[in-house]
Amino acid sequence: MAVTRKAHGLSDRTVCGLFVLPALAVLVLMVAYPFISLLYYSTLRFSILRPGVPAEGVGLENYEFLLTDPDLWDRFVFTGKFVVMTVAVQFILGILIAYVLQRNFRGRDFLFTLFMLPMMLCPIVVGFLWRYMFNSEWGLVNYLFSLFGLGKLDWLGQAHNAVWAVVAADAWMWTPFVILLATAAFRGIPKDINEAADIDGASPAFRFFRVTLPLSMPILVIAFLLRLIDAFKQNDLFFAMTGGGPGSETMTVSFTLSKIAFGYFYTGEASALAVILLIIIIGLSMIFVRYLLRLTEGN
Amino acid sequence: MTRNRTGAWLQIAATLAYMAFSLGPLVWLVLSSLKSRDDLFAWPPKIVFDIDLGGYAAVFGLGPAGETAASQGLLGSLVNSVVVSVAGTVLAVLFGTLAGYAASRFRFPGRSDFMFFALSTRMIPPIAVLVFYHIMFSSLGLTDTLAGLILVMVFINLGLATWIMKGFFDGVPTEVEAIALVNGYSRLYAFRRLVLPMVKGGIAATAGFCFIFAWNEFAFSTILTTTQAKTLPVRVSSAMGATGIQWAQICAAGVVLVIPVAVFFFLIRKHLLMGMTFGVLGKTRS
Repeated sequence: MAVTRKAHGLSDRTVCGLFVLPALAVLVLMVAYPFISLLYYSTLRFSILRPGVPAEGVGLENYEFLLTDPDLWDRFVFTGKFVVMTVAVQFILGILIAYVLQRNFRGRDFLFTLFMLPMMLCPIVVGFLWRYMFNSEWGLVNYLFSLFGLGKLDWLGQAHNAVWAVVAADAWMWTPFVILLATAAFRGIPKDINEAADIDGASPAFRFFRVTLPLSMPILVIAFLLRLIDAFKQNDLFFAMTGGGPGSETMTVSFTLSKIAFGYFYTGEASALAVILLIIIIGLSMIFVRYLLRLTEGN
Repeated sequence: MTRNRTGAWLQIAATLAYMAFSLGPLVWLVLSSLKSRDDLFAWPPKIVFDIDLGGYAAVFGLGPAGETAASQGLLGSLVNSVVVSVAGTVLAVLFGTLAGYAASRFRFPGRSDFMFFALSTRMIPPIAVLVFYHIMFSSLGLTDTLAGLILVMVFINLGLATWIMKGFFDGVPTEVEAIALVNGYSRLYAFRRLVLPMVKGGIAATAGFCFIFAWNEFAFSTILTTTQAKTLPVRVSSAMGATGIQWAQICAAGVVLVIPVAVFFFLIRKHLLMGMTFGVLGKTRS
């Protein structure tokens, strides 16, 4: 038996190559090839709607056009605003709830499981659900507001309200993620450190800000970077809730890109914006990976 | 002491408020999925009402609702969702397991670049690559096909699968293969017969995560399908007929969509942390 097993014993090098190959093939086809092609397309003026019209090389004109377009800057500013708002809300809520869940009380694990539920829903359904609840005429949110004597608010028709509506939906869905990671971080702090703080008579606030938070930082930073990148990508909720409106006031950069690419079909210009987005995300991911490596090498 | 007591009450109040915020919309989703058209738009919103299963009937293509234009294809798209998610998961887990093992055991050149490359599948905004996928898919004849969508599902989950599986393989001592190799067994034999059984749980967890992400995927599916290959999330978003948005259908589809996810979540609960952070954080310490 041993002999036959040895007969097809491949060298480690071959095994390694064979094992990496399928994944590498997918990555080359689905990441590298598209990225290189987009770089090339971004220097052309053409539209996939008009395959008969030959593509015209325009150098960096597409970039120049995009980067000097004040509307696009507005979209970046709006996206940034949304990212800051939603990530802030998620972290304040998430850390607060994780702090409470540190205590042992009856039904804690059950509550924890319930709190994870929103993450499981299909994002597009979450968008429609909140659009339904935010309806100004018969929505649940305005009904609850009316119980407190407040008038009906036009949530999704006004840009300054709509951004909060989408933040509410996004925070509803993803605060559980922060709770999950923060809870893990808090529970990972060695018991004797907390006990030592107690013996020294540290106040709960002191213990939280000077002991718990600093020791949880590595995991919280990971949570932060992941939420940051996801919030930057968020598109499904805007699609379902506001459709980018009113006007184009709640259009994120991703949304704008989908409009240029599949609304106006300016394929060259869309490629240039795609490249810009990819470079931003690669930059963010680099920070993320570098942080991870430092973290794991430090262990 | 009083300060501590106030603190405790504040904590309870915060938890209850969050509970209302977190669970309220879920309850509302389920209630709305069971409402008739009139009850959906009632003011004040109704909590007690006659149950109407029209939304669910539409999702499963049953009864009179199955005949209406708005619900046509909902069942077909449910079938598409199952096929695409299952096939995409199997392939992503297979490729990710192999790559994860290689990354865990062999110091091949460009290994860290490869892992970064893999991670990028989680970071890339779908729309940025879609500009090109749209062109690539139509030239390969993959637009609006299940095969095309399966390829997309492999793409979105490959990094996740590779990173999580690498984490699980890292947890298996290298001595396992070392001893097998010394005793004359091949690397492949050691991998298949010794190492793989030790990470069975990890493979199941990885599959659970891949399935969930594929099952809920919307951005790619909506652009790359037109009629035949629409998945349920895509179909749901176009449930806006001439009579307005079909809220009951959307909510019913939401409930139907969440059931398998909830089951998988429950099965992989021990590995939640690992999966949600892309295998970056090890097993939960609960």
